[in-house]
Amino acid sequence: MTAAPVAPALPLRAAGRLLRLELRRSAMLTMAPLAAVLFWFVVYRPSMAFPPLWNVRAMGMQTRAVSVFAPTVIGAAAWIGSREGRHAITDLVAGTARSRWARQFAAWAAATGWALLAYLACVAVLYVVTARQAGGGGPLWWPVAVGAASLPAFAALGFAAGALRPSRFTTPLVAILAFLALQLSVQMIHDSGSDWQISPLVAGPWQIGADEGVATFYHYLPDLPIAQIMFLAGLTAALLGVLGLPAAAGGRWLRRSAAAVTAAGLLTCGTAVALAGTGRLDAHGMIAIPGLHSAAGDRPVGYAPVCGHTAIPVCLHPAYTVYLPAVTAALEPVLDEVAGLPGAPVRISQAAATYRQETGNGVAIGLAGPLISGTPPVYHLLLPNQRGGPTMTVSQLADAVRTDTRHELLASLICGDAREPNPAQQAIVAAMLNTYDKVPDASVAAKARRFAALPATARHAWLVEHLAALRSGRLTLAQLP
Amino acid sequence: MIYEATRTPQAGLPPRTGLRLALLHLASRRVPAALAAITACAVVLRIALHWPWDAYGALQLPLIFEAGCAATIAATTASPFGEPERATGPRLPLLRLGTALALTAAAAGALAAAGIGAHLAGGSLDVLRNTAGLTGIGLLCAAVLGGARAWTGQMAYLMIGVYALYTQWHGPALSSPWIWPARPPHDLGAATCAGLVFAAGLVAVTVSGSRDPLGE
Repeated sequence: MTAAPVAPALPLRAAGRLLRLELRRSAMLTMAPLAAVLFWFVVYRPSMAFPPLWNVRAMGMQTRAVSVFAPTVIGAAAWIGSREGRHAITDLVAGTARSRWARQFAAWAAATGWALLAYLACVAVLYVVTARQAGGGGPLWWPVAVGAASLPAFAALGFAAGALRPSRFTTPLVAILAFLALQLSVQMIHDSGSDWQISPLVAGPWQIGADEGVATFYHYLPDLPIAQIMFLAGLTAALLGVLGLPAAAGGRWLRRSAAAVTAAGLLTCGTAVALAGTGRLDAHGMIAIPGLHSAAGDRPVGYAPVCGHTAIPVCLHPAYTVYLPAVTAALEPVLDEVAGLPGAPVRISQAAATYRQETGNGVAIGLAGPLISGTPPVYHLLLPNQRGGPTMTVSQLADAVRTDTRHELLASLICGDAREPNPAQQAIVAAMLNTYDKVPDASVAAKARRFAALPATARHAWLVEHLAALRSGRLTLAQLP
Repeated sequence: MIYEATRTPQAGLPPRTGLRLALLHLASRRVPAALAAITACAVVLRIALHWPWDAYGALQLPLIFEAGCAATIAATTASPFGEPERATGPRLPLLRLGTALALTAAAAGALAAAGIGAHLAGGSLDVLRNTAGLTGIGLLCAAVLGGARAWTGQMAYLMIGVYALYTQWHGPALSSPWIWPARPPHDLGAATCAGLVFAAGLVAVTVSGSRDPLGE
């Protein structure tokens, strides 16, 4: 009795079997726990220290996760890529049924698959926790997509280096050099039209970083992420194509295909870099690329504000809900005093910040339009954390509201449009903020102290009667009570 | 009959034979290539120091090159012979120790020399501490994981070190002496920790060598 002849395996089935073999023994599998630990230390732990804002956490995640996964994936892929060379079995496996390029593609795909799985699992944990804490404004998926698109490119880079230059030094050196190149790429960014924004570390205008003011009132613009994904896809194709160029990679047809893939990849990379170079900082703090821009991205995102229960309600975008108790508590003493005064706002409403590129890496962040406008009047509030700078904790923000926002609110109500408040206006503002000890002019400080010493009802009655005159600058210091 | 050339050598090698043994050991560990890589790191660092880096970039730049040199040193511990070499004689530990020490000194010296006349963040003392500490991590990883995989520990530590430097600007700052790259160059605790790790790595690699399967 003879065994039945085995039917030849379908090409796809055979490729699947090869991929399963590579998946089982991929070095990336052993590196995944290390990447996860580094993700926890460098990405997750600091993210949890930030307020639960999608823009801060997602944009910061992209930069840090790419930094963590780049050397890990490149190193593992270089190790896998140099396997045949290190074991000196290149000639031995040259006689196998599959071409060298196909074998290398399977090994690269396995490494990429494990890297993607590890990355997505890490990101999923971060996003699930953030979704439970955040009030709105997300989740933002483009930063996740750029990070995910970078992994095949990193794996291809490491794999190509390992395969083309198999040595015991290749793996560590290529991983460290790639990390250096990534860090170098962001050093080259000098404004929002820099080609170097194509670096996957960049999640927005590099000069302001993961800013708390973007992607809440307006959409997270996909322009730069699209260019970055194009670049990373092109880089992946070019590097994988390079693997198919040597004579040992396969037959003539296969090598020609590899050359075409390489050329197409390089062309895509060049196009993406050129597109990134046409970027500009838009008014909402994102990088807009004219060739990729959709006007729909410029429309504001609709939202139902969350409001506090103060004499004048304070209303914030739901993404900033976490700050509402601190902001209302910080503003409440002043709001109690100004409620009902002529010209006083009926609502404190959070507004979107506007961004303007200055020379070099400078960015001006401010409020478009007056602080108080409309009928009935509304005070447009820009939270201190919307003005750029390091990310603030809730208590840091409350301190900034107590010192800066309260002063701005009173100054806009009492001084109106005056750029230089007169002594009477200075005295009333200082009295209401209880900062008369810090006023350098002794006569102004004395008047402020006297006004602050009045009962609250008396102060309020005087302001109701005289606020219009005070605001227009007609009252002198001597006319204050 | 035993031919003259194949006789077991007498105890106490003549100087030329000792030198030949050392050279063979260095060649088997690819030490010339490692020295070339260390020199390349120093040259690239020198070139990079002329670049107008921002404050954060200037701080992390030397650390990246220190990690590169340390990873190169750890990679030299991989043995191409495995067990047959371990059975050959008592001088192997000394050769391992000497190789690791000499390469670490060469790396620290080359990187410090690269910073002469330029603004090298932390200065030579920082280079010495970080290179020694990172090499120690690599040697420990070589003893546990094998010389070819020793870079994983150094790479992970580089990430932690770079992040710790970042936290000096965007707190809360990491200040443990075990994360020595983020500590000032004259910090005794950080130097002690780096020194301890280096010593532990030297002992591990001297006594047991790198844990390499034959052929790796």
